[in-house]
Amino acid sequence: MKKKNIAFLSFLVVWAIALSACLFDSDDSALSSWLSDQGLPDSYKVQTLTIDGLSPVSAKAYQGNTVFNAYDRSVFGTQAGLTHDIVFDIAFTDPEFLEEFSDADSAAAFILFYVLKPFYTADIFPSDSLPYEETLDVKVEWILDKGKGKGFVDSISKISLSTWQSDLKEWEADNSADTTIEFTIDSKKDLKKKDEAPTLRVDMPSALIKEMKELNSACRLQLRLSAPEAKHLYRFYGTSIVSYWPLFRMRSVTDTSLKDVTPFRINNVVNYNDTCEDCLLLHGGTFDSIVVEYPSDKILEALSDFYGDDFPYNKGDSNDVRQAVVLAQLTMPRDDSDGYSELGLPIQVVVGSYLDSLGTEVRTMEKYKVNRKYVAESGHPNMVFFDGDSLALQVTYGMRDLINQAKDGHNFKMMVRLGYPVLQATDSLYENHEVKDSASGAIDTSFVFFDHFDYARYDFGTTFSQPASLKLWLATKRGGEE
Amino acid sequence: MKKFLGLILGCAICASASMIGMDALGEEQTIGGSAAAAGRGFAGGAKTGEAEGFLVTNPARMAFDTKVVFNLNFLMDFNTAESHGESYFTKGISMPSFNLSFPMGDFGAFGASLWQHYSSTLRESVSDTLTNSDALIEYKGSVYEIVPSYAVRLPFFRNVSLGASMHLVMGSLARSLTLGPNKTSVDEEDLWATNNSEITDYVEGSWEIEHHPAYYTGSVQYRGRQSSFYFSYTTGYTLLNELDYNFRFSEIDTLIPNHGERTIKVPAQFATGVNYRLAKRHNVMMDLLWRAWDEDVENIGGSYSMRSVTETQDDFVASIGYQRDGSGLYYDPFWDRVTYRAGAWYKNWYIADVYEVGGSLGAGFPLGRKGITLDLAVQGGKRFSESEGNWEEVFMGIRLGLMGIGNWGQTRR
Repeated sequence: MKKKNIAFLSFLVVWAIALSACLFDSDDSALSSWLSDQGLPDSYKVQTLTIDGLSPVSAKAYQGNTVFNAYDRSVFGTQAGLTHDIVFDIAFTDPEFLEEFSDADSAAAFILFYVLKPFYTADIFPSDSLPYEETLDVKVEWILDKGKGKGFVDSISKISLSTWQSDLKEWEADNSADTTIEFTIDSKKDLKKKDEAPTLRVDMPSALIKEMKELNSACRLQLRLSAPEAKHLYRFYGTSIVSYWPLFRMRSVTDTSLKDVTPFRINNVVNYNDTCEDCLLLHGGTFDSIVVEYPSDKILEALSDFYGDDFPYNKGDSNDVRQAVVLAQLTMPRDDSDGYSELGLPIQVVVGSYLDSLGTEVRTMEKYKVNRKYVAESGHPNMVFFDGDSLALQVTYGMRDLINQAKDGHNFKMMVRLGYPVLQATDSLYENHEVKDSASGAIDTSFVFFDHFDYARYDFGTTFSQPASLKLWLATKRGGEE
Repeated sequence: MKKFLGLILGCAICASASMIGMDALGEEQTIGGSAAAAGRGFAGGAKTGEAEGFLVTNPARMAFDTKVVFNLNFLMDFNTAESHGESYFTKGISMPSFNLSFPMGDFGAFGASLWQHYSSTLRESVSDTLTNSDALIEYKGSVYEIVPSYAVRLPFFRNVSLGASMHLVMGSLARSLTLGPNKTSVDEEDLWATNNSEITDYVEGSWEIEHHPAYYTGSVQYRGRQSSFYFSYTTGYTLLNELDYNFRFSEIDTLIPNHGERTIKVPAQFATGVNYRLAKRHNVMMDLLWRAWDEDVENIGGSYSMRSVTETQDDFVASIGYQRDGSGLYYDPFWDRVTYRAGAWYKNWYIADVYEVGGSLGAGFPLGRKGITLDLAVQGGKRFSESEGNWEEVFMGIRLGLMGIGNWGQTRR
């Protein structure tokens, strides 16, 4: 009986569904008609509005980070008005060796850096820049803390990186000494032939050796190297690369009795020596930034003329959702003549806008949409050290927020920064991507960006002192315009 | 079971119901939309029995029940909207109500219901490069009510019972219109900026009753040897719909919304019905529900050229039905134990110039001896509309009700 019931019910349901399928049918365009009857569009109309003559009300350059963790690479030397020091944090315990070190007349120590060979042998690195041959005047500063046992070393390892970096900003050495080093990086051709990376050896001054000979069983050594007169900025491996990380080596009696100490951490400290009163300077690799404000009233006035409505919006809670900014692009003049770049490549300018987030101002990095046709012909418009005399930056998030929150009366505020060097200025993908060889089927990576910063210098004085042009792509939900 | 629930959920996600009045309140599920009631044309509010169960318009009826009834209803509906010589087909699955009634002998009966009173559910898209159409319209709106009720038979007039319900209103609403760019409206050199740039006009909000926790229904039921009837009155109330209007570019990329609200004054409802027992287990019944709307319904609107209000009219449901009760004896033939139903109704919607004519056939199949019944109703009809923007609809629906009947808390007499 049960099976019979289920069979009957199943038949009834299938019959009903089959009947309904026969009864009902759809016209493809019918939904568009229905939407139209509801007063709704079936696509949005794109409108463009260009606002010329936007002069910044303020533009200020901010120094970037002064302390960087030299995790995968470290830099040392001077370039574009900035001096990059290296600071080591070393702690170890070895009573037997320290006793031997203390007794040895030939006690010595040095630091060994391995040159970042992939950078100097990269195709894009200018061949005529190498070889480098320089007599480096290096200032060695140190703070030496004596301690006992493993517990002392452990206590140093518990000091967080951020705490140590904070301390580095107020660095006060116990002692210092100057030393001179002959340093060479071979020509690119010779560099490629060698299997090993060239090294930079910095011998520790006798005053430091003397202090270290008085150690008991453990120590913490904070060591800072500085070369403010260096002709170049040298690049070395950081602490994360096994076999190539910088080493602190101590010698007691002979070169066969070396003790290698791997630093807990190494940081770069940047000293800003670049003074230019009338400039708006940005440096590459250091996260310098310029914050610029443009007046909102001119933008709102233009929108008011365009739509024939009041701006800012003042109904409800005054959050303006009458229109959407599909894309916004700010175009400014550009002058590369006062800039310096090491690699000679175009450098991307990244941009962020300041938005309201629950009453708090937050900075959001803007997304960049590629105008493929333009880029194929003229390259990305958001680069410096490139052809042309204008810079176009997309500020869509910022403009959406400005109009949405115009009730606050705040100006449009954005931040710019130098990004990575661009290897393929006319590649429309704007990101490193995989390419497949049509013949062999092999997959390779196409690098749009160079993986190393150019510690460049760029003056945005021209860019942010002259009027800009803002272009908005808009969609509205006002009635009668769909 | 997991597959079944998955199917229900999957269907519910892409469900669409009637396309009439979506921007107002949506479609109303008459008297809870139970499969049993639908099978007899939504008539039978006055019909008493040992396990008739809970009815939102007549809570007094359950005082005559002697068995606990648990009732879960599903609706699969198919609609074809028609206008300007074009037609559009939608289908969907919903769960209009979930009811429980618990008779307690001389202490009366307690009941509760979760009722999807109004729903506006739609998810349809159009994409045509020739006409530059690229739109996805989505409505997800439900006014839910939790309805605790109590009914009791009068001490000296045992054929008369009184019942009262409290309707706690809740629910949410979202309207989303995702649009692609109309490429004919933009210069060739500016096209790049709009590629893959969809925008979504988005509104979301919640439902509650303004300045009051609930609205109420009171009813009186008379049970005679052959005739039974009831009267009920439901208070008017004002629905408050808090809304946030927005533009979205993705789920996580939105503007800060503009807050708004709308209030809808729902008038009091009068309901009555009669059930007449022709012969053993044969019943005919008629019901009437009626509301007089004084004010128009404010729409969600707020976008493009949408109408700001929906004009209303007095709404009523006049229904007539027939039911042949199934035998309660387990050893009777199966087909004799099945309950058969038929009915028809005429419904004036709350939306001006929209009315509906429908008919239904239904049956209640006893499953096993444990008191479980499967109610099935097949309904069909047409919604006529002379209202601007609302298309006429041919509809068909299959309702499925799972009813569990038990003797919990009842003493053997």
